Amino acid sequence: MQAQDVKILIVDDDEISRIGCERILEVSDYKVDLAENGLDGLEKIKSSDYDLVVTDLMMPKMGGMEFLQEIRKVDEKIVPIVITGYATIENAVDAVKMGAYDYLAKPFTPDEFRTKVERALEKRRLLLETEQLRQERDKNMLEHSIEKSRTLTIVNCMSEGVIATNTAGQILLMNPAAVKMLRLKHHNVIGKKVTGLLSNTDLEEKISAALKKVTSCEILERFEVTTGEGRVLQPNITPIINEKGECIGTVAVLIDVTEEKKIEKMKADFLNLVSHELKAPLGAIEGYLNIILDGVTAGQPEKEKSFISKSRDRAHELLDLVNDLLDLTRAERKISAKVMSPVDVNTVLMDTFEFYKNEAKTKSINYTIDLTAALPKIRGNREELSRLFANLVSNAIKYTPAKGQVLITTESNEKQIYIAIKDTGIGMSKEDAAKVFDEFYRAGNAVAKKISGTGLGLAIAKKIVEEHNGYIEVESELEKGSTFTVILPVIIDSTKKNN
Amino acid sequence: MSTEIKILLADDDPDFIEINRTILEAKGYDVEEAYTSSEAITKVRAGNYDLLILDLMMEEKDAGFTVAYAIREDERLKELPILMLTSAQEKTGFTFKLSKDQEWMKVDDFAAKPLRPAELVERVEKLLKKR
Repeated sequence: MQAQDVKILIVDDDEISRIGCERILEVSDYKVDLAENGLDGLEKIKSSDYDLVVTDLMMPKMGGMEFLQEIRKVDEKIVPIVITGYATIENAVDAVKMGAYDYLAKPFTPDEFRTKVERALEKRRLLLETEQLRQERDKNMLEHSIEKSRTLTIVNCMSEGVIATNTAGQILLMNPAAVKMLRLKHHNVIGKKVTGLLSNTDLEEKISAALKKVTSCEILERFEVTTGEGRVLQPNITPIINEKGECIGTVAVLIDVTEEKKIEKMKADFLNLVSHELKAPLGAIEGYLNIILDGVTAGQPEKEKSFISKSRDRAHELLDLVNDLLDLTRAERKISAKVMSPVDVNTVLMDTFEFYKNEAKTKSINYTIDLTAALPKIRGNREELSRLFANLVSNAIKYTPAKGQVLITTESNEKQIYIAIKDTGIGMSKEDAAKVFDEFYRAGNAVAKKISGTGLGLAIAKKIVEEHNGYIEVESELEKGSTFTVILPVIIDSTKKNN
Repeated sequence: MSTEIKILLADDDPDFIEINRTILEAKGYDVEEAYTSSEAITKVRAGNYDLLILDLMMEEKDAGFTVAYAIREDERLKELPILMLTSAQEKTGFTFKLSKDQEWMKVDDFAAKPLRPAELVERVEKLLKKR
C-alpha cells in the first residue's frame, strides 16, 4: 500500500485539532478528508472508501462511541483510532470494545500520532490481505464445487447405470439410469443399505463380495443379472481403493444388454431355421439317391425315374432357397448402403406386370393392372422395389388356381401411395395371415396343397417395405383369395406451401 | 417278411415318407403315413402299429417329442417301439446321445436323416425283435 493510496478520514468538532491532524498526515503524503461530527463522518464513509478513521470521542450530533458502532456496520475493515482529551482507562476500554483499534490522548506530538497511524495502517494491510486470501479460497471452493457438479452432471447423463457405495454398503450415489434400470420405486436411496433395496439379490450379493475384496483392485468377473421385467443387465463392479490400499467402497456400472441378447437369440434361431431348411432338401436328394444306388428300386426304371425327377425338384427348391436367402441378406443391408432416388412406382409395376404376363397366360389367369395416372413419386431403390413386386405378383399367380384372377392397382393420397395385389387364390386362415411375413413360415393350406415355396418371399417383401419406411398388410379368406397392400410414403415437396 | 407288420411313418416332408416307404415296402412291411404330430397321434391310437418312425421337426421344432410323450403316457401304447429320425444335429441346437438322453427322449432309437436303406432296415428289424 503506497502512501498516496492511503485515505484517512479525520472526524473532530474542533477545527484546530482537525487541521493539525491533517497537516501532520499530509506530510506523509496520505490523502486526508475531514468531518465535523459522527454524522458528517458517516456520510463520508458511505460515499467513499477509507483505510483509517481518526475520531474524537466528544462531539455534538453523533459522538465518537456511536460513530464507532456505525463504522463497523458500513465496513468492518476500516481501522479506527480514537483521540480524546479526556483520556481515561475507562474511555479507552469502552472505545476498544466499540471497535477502536487504538487510542491517543490529547495533547500528542506529531511523531506519536504518526506512529499510531502507521501501526493502524499495518493492521489495515493485514485485514486486506486476509480478505484477499478468503476471497481466493472462496473462489477455489466455487471452482471445486463447479467441477463436482460437472462430474455429477456427466454421471447423471450416462446411459449406463452407476451405483457407488461405501464400505458399509450404503449408497453414496445412484444415477437416474440405474434407478430406471432397477425400476426402483423410491428415488431417495442415498445413505440407504444396498441389501434389500435393489430388488435383486444377485446384484446385492455381488456388491457385497466386491466390498470384501479389500486387498486387490481386481475387477469382478463379468456376469449378468435379470431384472423382474426380464431386462438383462451386465454389471461391472469395481472396488474403490484409496492411496493406502484400503477398500473404501464400490462402483457398479450397469449396462443394459437386453437388446443385444435379443439379437443374439434371433440370430441363433435364424441359423437353426436356415440349417434345417437347407438340410431337408439335401437329405431328400440323398435319400432318393440312396434307394436307387443301393438297389432298393432295382428293376423298376419308372420308379427310379420318378425319384430322380423328385430329386431334381428338391435341388431346384434348394437353389430357390439359396437365392431367397441372398435376397434376404441384401434386404437387411442398411439403407445407407443403397442408392435411394425418386421412383415412379407405376413404371416399376408395369415392368413387373409385363414380366409375369406369360406365366399368368399359361394358367389362364385373368391378369390385369389398373394404375392411378398421377401417382406421386416415392424415395426408394428401384431394384429392391422391383424385387418386392415380383415376389408379391409371382405369389399371387402361384397361389391362384387356373382361370382365377390377379389384379394390380395403385392409389394415393398426399402422404402415401397404396399398391394392392389382389388374387382369387387359395387364401389363408387368420392365424396363418398373422404369421405369413415370418421367415420360413408357410400357410398350412399352401403346404397341404403341396405348392412349393421357401417361406422367405414375404419375409423379404416385408424387409424391403420397411427399408422404404412403409408397411405391408394382408387381407385374406380361405379359398376366396388374398390382397396384399403395400403402403409407402411419398416424397414431401418442401417447396409447396402448407395451407 | 411278414406282411402283417404295420409301420407308421410320421414326417412333414413327403419325400422322406416316399423314400422310407419305398425301402420298407421292398422288405414287405405294411407302411402308413402321417404328416403332422396330431395326425400321428390319432393314427397310432386308432391303428394297430408295430413300429413308429418319427421325424423330430415337423410343424414345430420339437413336434416329435410331443408325439413320443403322448404315446408313452398312453397305457395301451407305451410299449410301441419308436425310431426317431431327424436332420437336426449339433449346429441346429439338438444333439442327442441315445445312451444318455433316452430316458427323457422316450424313444427306443434315434438316427440322423437320411439313413442308408440297409441301415434303416437293420434298425427296424432290431426294434421289432425287441417287442
